[in-house]
Amino acid sequence: MTRWTPRTVLAAPLAAWVLGPALAFWCPIPASAQSSRAPTTIVIVTGEQASLPIPTLMEGPLAAVANYEIADQLFLHLAGLGPTLTTAGDRDFVPLLAQRWVRRDSVTLAFELDPRATWQDGAPVTARDVVFTFDRARDPSIAPRLAGVLRRITAVTAEGDRRVVFHFSRPYAEQVYDAVFHVAPLPAHLLAGLSQEELRQSPFLTHPVGSGPYRWVRSVGGEYIELSANEHFFLGRPAIRRVIVRVAADADARLNLMLSGEADAMDNVPPPLANLSRVAADHDLRLIPVPSPAIGYLLFNQRDPRDSSRPHPVLADPDVRRAIVLALDRPRLVRAVMGAYAEVPFGPVSSILWIRHGAPRPLAQDVGRARHLLARGGWADHDGDGVADRDGRPLRLTLSVPNTSAIRRQLSLLVQEQLRQVGIRIEVQQYDGPMWGKRRSAGLFDIDFSAASQDPTPSGLTQSWSCAGASNVARYCDPTVDSLFERASRGGPDVADTWRAALTRIEADAPAAFMYAPLYVYAVRRRFTNVTIRPESSWLALWHWTVGPTQARKGTGN
Amino acid sequence: MGRWLVGRTLQALGTLLIVLLLLFILMRLAPGDPLSRLSDDQPLSAAEIASLRARYGLDRPIAAQLASFVGGLARGDLGASIEYGRPVSSLLAERLPATLLLGGAVLLLNFTVGIWLGVRQAVGRGAWADRWLTMLSLAGYATPSFWLGLVLAWLVGVRWRLLPAAGMHDPLLDPDAGLLTRSGDVLRHLVLPALTLSVVSIAGTMRHQRSSMIEALRLPYIVTARAKGLSEAAVTWRHAWRNAVFPVLTLFGLWLPVLVTGSVFVESVFAWPGLGSLAARAVGYRDYPLLMGTSLLVAVLVVLGSLLTDLAYAVLDPRVRLS
Amino acid sequence: MTAIWDSLGRAWRTTRGRAGAVVLLAVAAASVLGPFALPDPLAQPNILGGAILPPSLGHPFGTDELSRDVLARVVSGGRVSLTVALLAVGLSVTLGALVGLVAGYFGGAVDAALMRLVDGALAVPRLFLLLLLLAVSERVPLAVLVLLIGTTGWFATSRLVRGEILRLREESYVWAAAALGANRRRIILRHLLPNAMGPLLVAATLGVGDVILLEAGLSFLGLGVQPPAPSWGGMIMDARQVLVTAPWVGIFPGLAITITVLSANLFGDALRDAVDPRGA
Repeated sequence: MTRWTPRTVLAAPLAAWVLGPALAFWCPIPASAQSSRAPTTIVIVTGEQASLPIPTLMEGPLAAVANYEIADQLFLHLAGLGPTLTTAGDRDFVPLLAQRWVRRDSVTLAFELDPRATWQDGAPVTARDVVFTFDRARDPSIAPRLAGVLRRITAVTAEGDRRVVFHFSRPYAEQVYDAVFHVAPLPAHLLAGLSQEELRQSPFLTHPVGSGPYRWVRSVGGEYIELSANEHFFLGRPAIRRVIVRVAADADARLNLMLSGEADAMDNVPPPLANLSRVAADHDLRLIPVPSPAIGYLLFNQRDPRDSSRPHPVLADPDVRRAIVLALDRPRLVRAVMGAYAEVPFGPVSSILWIRHGAPRPLAQDVGRARHLLARGGWADHDGDGVADRDGRPLRLTLSVPNTSAIRRQLSLLVQEQLRQVGIRIEVQQYDGPMWGKRRSAGLFDIDFSAASQDPTPSGLTQSWSCAGASNVARYCDPTVDSLFERASRGGPDVADTWRAALTRIEADAPAAFMYAPLYVYAVRRRFTNVTIRPESSWLALWHWTVGPTQARKGTGN
Repeated sequence: MGRWLVGRTLQALGTLLIVLLLLFILMRLAPGDPLSRLSDDQPLSAAEIASLRARYGLDRPIAAQLASFVGGLARGDLGASIEYGRPVSSLLAERLPATLLLGGAVLLLNFTVGIWLGVRQAVGRGAWADRWLTMLSLAGYATPSFWLGLVLAWLVGVRWRLLPAAGMHDPLLDPDAGLLTRSGDVLRHLVLPALTLSVVSIAGTMRHQRSSMIEALRLPYIVTARAKGLSEAAVTWRHAWRNAVFPVLTLFGLWLPVLVTGSVFVESVFAWPGLGSLAARAVGYRDYPLLMGTSLLVAVLVVLGSLLTDLAYAVLDPRVRLS
Repeated sequence: MTAIWDSLGRAWRTTRGRAGAVVLLAVAAASVLGPFALPDPLAQPNILGGAILPPSLGHPFGTDELSRDVLARVVSGGRVSLTVALLAVGLSVTLGALVGLVAGYFGGAVDAALMRLVDGALAVPRLFLLLLLLAVSERVPLAVLVLLIGTTGWFATSRLVRGEILRLREESYVWAAAALGANRRRIILRHLLPNAMGPLLVAATLGVGDVILLEAGLSFLGLGVQPPAPSWGGMIMDARQVLVTAPWVGIFPGLAITITVLSANLFGDALRDAVDPRGA
């Protein structure tokens, strides 16, 4: 009989730990881990998992890119943006659920639905679905954000099964854009009559039924979402039959999955630049730069953070703001952090806004002029400590940065160093996300390293840069800019010039130093062909992708 | 003993309750709220913020929010996560198995290999093996877990392609595959994160075990036992180790919460779908309901760990009076 | 007091003890004096061509993503990291020993109250606890940082010490001392504390590594040392991105931490033997 000794107790798990890893190596390796995976399957790896990819429910914290991107596979919009991403006018859109649209007058548009369009359960898509969806979208108690952007739609009515008529409060350039871009129709035959509470309990939320190219299969929490091709998609059966959207919150983990062959596509190869060369060195992968909706800028507070009724003691002076912009060698800073995959924008304009075409070049660094502008305002280094001062008060400013952004953290240190050269002492203060957001919206900053993710429409600019703008946290106010915005939103033949006049005015006044408008660099396995990545929603064109001929022959399909 | 246990359990429940109340209030005092993150890249107007605050009940006084939380808790309802828009209980249930697996594996490894190595070091103190193990274990301890994790993931997962670089399941694996194939798949994914977490933490068990064992081996009666001619193994394990087990027991109690917290860094480097990263996000986004849910689990294990430790003291050394 | 000096002296006379102490002192001296001999740890001489250069004669430890000299940063980062590590660990070990001794020795209601307090404190995530401080004040001086880390770091130590004391107070020599009329103070200081030194010193050694990384975590939240000031933990965190492509950026601060922990351990080990009443 064996006596109880601690050693025997320990021996068993110890053996397990020697055997465990050994077993892991010897276990039958699942077929898919080898290279014999079905070629018509794609594994996309992203940073976040969609939790509720359903139009009109993606509000507040749920208004996340992860949700939009899955929703765009499941639910088809009335129409899509064209190749130029132009949002003004009625013409530059691609028909989807709607076959065509006609303008009845300056405030009325009629959309004809495609008769072939069906829901994934077989029911036809009707005008009633569109009306139902817009009733939800325009209700501020259901969807406050959508209701805000759709505020100029006064009514949506059905004329028979196939025709939907949109009524607008006034004539403006982006009526079609508002009707098609923000929300995709939901199936009224499954959802109408449900109260908001019943909807929350509804199986539709865990197994949505849409009208798009892909249908929902399942979601495994924290791991992946699986979609499969909609066999009956009326615009053509997708060539990629099975889509796994895998989640890895950590950028290095995503990159590892790509480089180890476990994933086929990823959005936005993470910094630093060296990672791009690692991907490029893998001959199975190709890099695809895509314009991004992101823009980063140093936002100058116009108000005193300690007392918002007073102007900012330093930054209210446009000369100081201009001096900061001129003291920075922005192209060099951006190149150091993002290489060739970003440019310095002219005004608050990301690389997806169509108004950036034809805009002038941003100001180049001019340290001498920066010093001159500072001196004109009385700022000079009188006491010889390397920091400019005025009336004995040194020129010190805080720069608040969210710790979630590696790019902004790195750039802020470069900015700090360059501004030190002209005698401006910057204190970088990093905060975690919520805290940074709180301080930003409360106006508790001198300079804030902001980043915005822009809709494709320039009219979003009024939110941040007009006097009454809802998210104008720096309280920047210039009546000239406001009136230019107003004129541009009305449309007309000179609409592009008017937008650019507004940008020029903003650049001259320097309410912010516009730092970078990046391209996102996607990595996609080479066996996929006809690859298009849309800036407004990464995988929107996935159903157009095909599988390369050589590799397709090897597999048997799914 | 029975009375002690009842009293001790009541204390534990009391502690839990106080901790939860305290957390609930502290959470709302912490800077930033669940919606302040939103101003990052999607500017919201004040009206939208107000409407969202009302939707999540954030506009009500803290006392009212606390009352409805406690009411929900009594019914077993933890509320819905703000960030994920889903019930907290289902999120926790979804992530718990992964964390238990990783945490369990690490606990097992640390407290078997760690104890064994610690005892061997003490027995052969000053010898070549002892010095090298000291060096290695402390070097491991001073290594940040994400660092070792990244290196292992890159080397084993990417360069050699021996094991999966990240995740817990192969999403392409046929869900109808046999049990052996499926558990083999999970095992293959488990090796690297479990190894990483163990290497960077095993020094705790080893050092404490070594230190207490060195003292135990000096006790007079060990010398007596040796003199009586007992085998070295019997002396080491049956006599000395019993006197050297207290710090390790305490450590085990302290480590028990790892079963649910896992390690944020290791989970994220290996995209392990555990609770640790969920909890970290809950803090980072101030997702109050989710934060309360994960904190509840952690608090239960902290209190349980302390209770089990006290019990184990009494069982292993009957002289210890629990009063 | 003399007992402490005696023990330190005895530890110093062992090879292990001296080696540990000498290395620790050397690291400290380097971090104080080094910056005078080295390039400016904040300077970014050439952000385009001079970033992430591998180690060379000009930059023995290479340069980081902002073209700063890694050697200069490791050396001057030692000031913050060593100060925080040694002071905060000293504080938390003292507190942990005190609470553990009191709880273990007195037992009963005192023990219950103190240990439930510790349970509660352990159940609240430490980073979250520290985050709360940002609500009170946004600029935290180094001394306060040390205080914060020290006062939130003793919970586990106190449980370890208490566990030892629970066992030790039943030992015959403690009973004998009590029977001979020794007062509590004497029993605690002369009999219990030296025997609980083992777990204390291990906790202290391991704490040094923990605290250096924790400090970096706090900087990241906006508490403590803000960039561009270097600290070892912060350098490692920042090096994360280039770990595979430019390992030298993180390896050298990592080595600095490891060397500090190892030498603290050597000294601690020697000190433990020196304190042991039964002698080595």
